[in-house]
Amino acid sequence: MDSSKKTTPAAAALTREVTVLNRYGIHARPAALLVKAATGFACEILLEKNGVKVNAKSIMGLLTLEGNHGAKLKIHASGADAAAAIAALADLFERKFFED
Amino acid sequence: MWRTAESPRITVADFFEAGRSILQMDWEANPEAAVGREITEVALNRPGLALAGFLRYFAYRRIQVLGLAEMTYLGSLPAAERIERLQTLAHVPGIVMSRGRRLPAYFRQVCARLGLPVMRTHLVTGHFMNAGTVLMQNLTSPRIRVPGTMIEINGVGVLLEGEPGIGKSEIALALIKRGHSLVADDTTVLTRDSTGAIQGSAVPITREHMEIRGLGIIHVPGLFGVASMRDGMRLDLIIRMQKAAVGADDIDRTGLDAQFRDVLGVPVPLIAVPVAAGRDLTNVVEVAALNQRMKQMGHDAARELDEKLKVALARKD
Repeated sequence: MDSSKKTTPAAAALTREVTVLNRYGIHARPAALLVKAATGFACEILLEKNGVKVNAKSIMGLLTLEGNHGAKLKIHASGADAAAAIAALADLFERKFFED
Repeated sequence: MWRTAESPRITVADFFEAGRSILQMDWEANPEAAVGREITEVALNRPGLALAGFLRYFAYRRIQVLGLAEMTYLGSLPAAERIERLQTLAHVPGIVMSRGRRLPAYFRQVCARLGLPVMRTHLVTGHFMNAGTVLMQNLTSPRIRVPGTMIEINGVGVLLEGEPGIGKSEIALALIKRGHSLVADDTTVLTRDSTGAIQGSAVPITREHMEIRGLGIIHVPGLFGVASMRDGMRLDLIIRMQKAAVGADDIDRTGLDAQFRDVLGVPVPLIAVPVAAGRDLTNVVEVAALNQRMKQMGHDAARELDEKLKVALARKD
C-alpha cells in the first residue's frame, strides 16, 4: 500500500444529500458547471450515487455516475473549505444547473 | 485510498446478455421470466441425478444445463412420470439446452406453467459448462471503480493515476498518437477475473470519450481509428503521477525497491513518477511499460546492474 495520500482531519469531512432536479440529469453541461465550481476549492470533493463515488473535479468521472433526473446523490467534501464547497455544489443542484 | 470492492449480483437476463454471442445462446422459452431473476449460486449444474429422483444435495440455485444424457433419460420415461420429474426444476433460476436442442412439447408446457426461462446454446454440453462457468465467475467477480486513466502500451496494461489536472489524459492522448490504445479515460473499472488477474475496462457510457482541458470532450475512435481503443486489458502496472516536491523521499531513484498496490487482493507493481515542467512524461510512461515487460520476462535492469557492481567491487576488495 502506498502511504503518500494526504490525510485530512475527520472533523473537516462533510456530507450532504442532493437530488438531481433538472430534467436531463447530469449531462455534459451540468457536469462542466460542477467541475468548474469544484475546482475553485482546495478540498477533496466526491459525488456519490448508489455507493459509487467519483471526483467532482473530473468531467468524465461525473458523466460515469449517470445521475438521472430524480437521482439522490451525496456530496462529500473534506478539507479546510469543505463547507463552502458543499454549499456551492448543492446550490447548482437546487438551481437545476440553470436549465428547465 | 480506494473504496472497498463490490461483488455484483447477476440475473438470468444478465447471464444471457453477456453470453449471447460467446456462448452462442438464443432464447428457447419465457425470456420475460429472466428479468430480475437472480442466480444465487454462481455455477452451472447438470441435474441428471435430481431428474432420476435423488434430490438430496440438488444444487437448485444454479442454472441447470440439460444435455444429451438428461434429454435421452427424460425421453425414456413414461409420459406421466416425465412431467412429475420435471417438477424438480420448479425453483431453479433457469435452464440451458445444449447442442441447440429444442424443448419437446411436454417440457415446454411445464416450463410455461412454472414460468421458467429456457435458453439454448449451440455449444456441446462440456464446452458450454467450461465457458459458461468462466463467464459467470467473471460477471460476479469483485470489482472496483477507481480514478485513473488506463492505456495499453505494447501489450502492457498501465493505469495512470494522480490528482485531477495533473495531465493523465494529455499523456494518454500522446500515447494514443504513438499507436498505443486507450482502455479507459479518467475512471477505470477493475475486476479480478477467474484466474486471479486484474482486468481493467471503461464505464460503458463514456468508453469512447476523453476530456482534454481546453478542447472539451473528444471521440477517440472517431479521431484516431478503432485500433486506438481496447475494450479491456490486464492491469500490469500502476503509475502514480505526483507533483515534484523538493526532497520527496518516495521516489525510487534506482528501481531496486519495487512497490506494490493491493488491488482486490492482488499485488500490482506501482511506480511513483514526479511531474515537473519540461519533463517528457509520455516517454517516461512508455519506457516504464517496456521496462515492466522486461521484468515480466525475467530481466530486471536495476538488479542486474547492482549484481554486476557488487562482483566488480568485490574484485577490488
